[in-house]
Amino acid sequence: MFNNPKRAFLEAFFLALVIFIIGFLIGVSFEDSRLNKINEYYTLSEISLMDSIALNRISDLKNISCDELINYDFEFADKIYDEALLLEKYEESGKITDSINAAHKRYDLLRTILWINVMKTREKFQRNFKTVIYNNNYNTKDLTERAQQIVWSRILFDLKQESGEKIILIPISVNNDITSLRLLVDGFKIRKYPAIIIDEKNIIYDLTSVEDIEKYLK
Amino acid sequence: MEILTVIYLAYAFIALYFLFLFSLVYAQNKKDMLYYPKTKKIYSLDIVVPCYNEEDTIEATVKSLLSSNYKGLSKIYVVDDCSTDNSYSIIKKLAGKYNKVVALHTPKNTGKAANAKNYGAKFAKSELIGFTDADSFPEKDAISKAVGFFNNEKVAGVTTLILVKNRKKAIERLQSLEYKVIAFTRKLLGFLEAIYVTPGPMAIYRRKLFSKIGGFDEKNVTEDIEITWNLVSRGYKVEMSMASRILTVVPDNIKHWYRQRIRWNIGGIQTIRKYKHLFLKKGSLGSFILPFFVLSWVIGMVGLAILIYNFGRRIFVDYLSTLYSIKAQTAILTLREINLVPSVLSFYGIFLFILGLAFTVFVMSFIKEKDYKKEGILTLAGYTLFYLSAYPVILIASVYNYLKGKHSW
Repeated sequence: MFNNPKRAFLEAFFLALVIFIIGFLIGVSFEDSRLNKINEYYTLSEISLMDSIALNRISDLKNISCDELINYDFEFADKIYDEALLLEKYEESGKITDSINAAHKRYDLLRTILWINVMKTREKFQRNFKTVIYNNNYNTKDLTERAQQIVWSRILFDLKQESGEKIILIPISVNNDITSLRLLVDGFKIRKYPAIIIDEKNIIYDLTSVEDIEKYLK
Repeated sequence: MEILTVIYLAYAFIALYFLFLFSLVYAQNKKDMLYYPKTKKIYSLDIVVPCYNEEDTIEATVKSLLSSNYKGLSKIYVVDDCSTDNSYSIIKKLAGKYNKVVALHTPKNTGKAANAKNYGAKFAKSELIGFTDADSFPEKDAISKAVGFFNNEKVAGVTTLILVKNRKKAIERLQSLEYKVIAFTRKLLGFLEAIYVTPGPMAIYRRKLFSKIGGFDEKNVTEDIEITWNLVSRGYKVEMSMASRILTVVPDNIKHWYRQRIRWNIGGIQTIRKYKHLFLKKGSLGSFILPFFVLSWVIGMVGLAILIYNFGRRIFVDYLSTLYSIKAQTAILTLREINLVPSVLSFYGIFLFILGLAFTVFVMSFIKEKDYKKEGILTLAGYTLFYLSAYPVILIASVYNYLKGKHSW
């Protein structure tokens, strides 16, 4: 017989609590380490973006190679596209802390600045490179919309594989309460999301294949 | 943090708690797991065997009782509940051959084991009264290793280690493993004075107390749960003799298994309703058994609901995205979408699964059997991965049946 059954219940409770807390803290530290990794990437991306903006400004003062500037934007867009894919995976696995959501928001802001910068570059140098801006809803609760966004991401991934060197692809979540982004997309009078803005001229609401975009990229 | 994450974490904590509780109780009582007190006196004992259409097993059941080495065994009342097969003529033959065997016949079919048991109990005159199902077979020393617990005046009932006799089919082997885990856990609960059932294959009660409480509740379809709660609620103790082995025949097909489980759960609901006024009250019934029962059921049902909700959403999104992907002629699944980044919930899940598996393996190794091989790895995998998952489904079906008024055998 257990000397004192009440003691067994209490001992088990404290033991479970200790192990649970240890597990919880390990979980938090795992999520923190992922966040740190994202933050490191973010810091580097932020530096790259600032560099790109600085290059743009220098071009006002000094005659610098337009190709060099455009190439820099292409490389940078590729880099943050890859980081977006990584961020997506971390978001799916982040259960305890909400910090990864804040990282997503910061990235959306970064991508918005990149989009603005790319628009300026194109306007300034009158170059005909292509931009594909994928506006979506972050963490949408609408399951049909979620399924649609999954497929759109796949189509855009295929597009990136096929024509990555010719286009700047920037995925941005529009429901992140970023004022500059809201003002920017308001100008396009977008009816619904997800939507793809190609070269700030054409808006696609129904994407069924890579060809739907490619016809605008010719 | 999302509400679902909070619920999952709460589940993880509860599972951890019970695993630690059982481990601690075992660690502190491992020497006493197979302990049984020697009888201070030879208690007279009558056994009642309710029987309905058990022509295949009734003779073996009676003979196994007759072969018991317990000297106090006086009479074996075999109560035929108006079987439609050859059971009663077998019982009569046995009664003619053996003095200890008394053949009884209910005036009309009662349809419930409780009624047949109560009918037989009226004839008993002994200090202790035992009940054995007509398809169960106590080992020679099972009774003698159980009665010693009655040395303690507070003990009102003793339950035993029930093992499965038929183990050819997969469903039977799964139940065999399940019965071992249930028996082991019941013994551990015994150390906490929290045994919640004295199962039908073999249970012994102090006859005076049995009569005092009016015998089995005939309205309840799991009279073996109800009588235990009844005795515990009155401050009596129920013990388990892990050394007393009884082999029993379990359902050999899904349909019968499902019906049996529905009946168990409906009986559980009936018992909870009957004793709900004791919830969180003093005594092991109100402070542990009842909350333990209710909590495990709520957890099972809420867990299943969440699983269905999540799984349903996932299936719906996957279905739509596959449909759209086919239209778009893009990949249905890409390598980059396979997420191998673990979440804290997956760590808890794996940790608990391993602990649960270790517990089951330990139980398998603890209960040693001479005549049977241990359940194999396939049974173990089937039990941990699939069989246990059926519990909440059956529970929901039981609640549905209960609400529809299906309270009979």
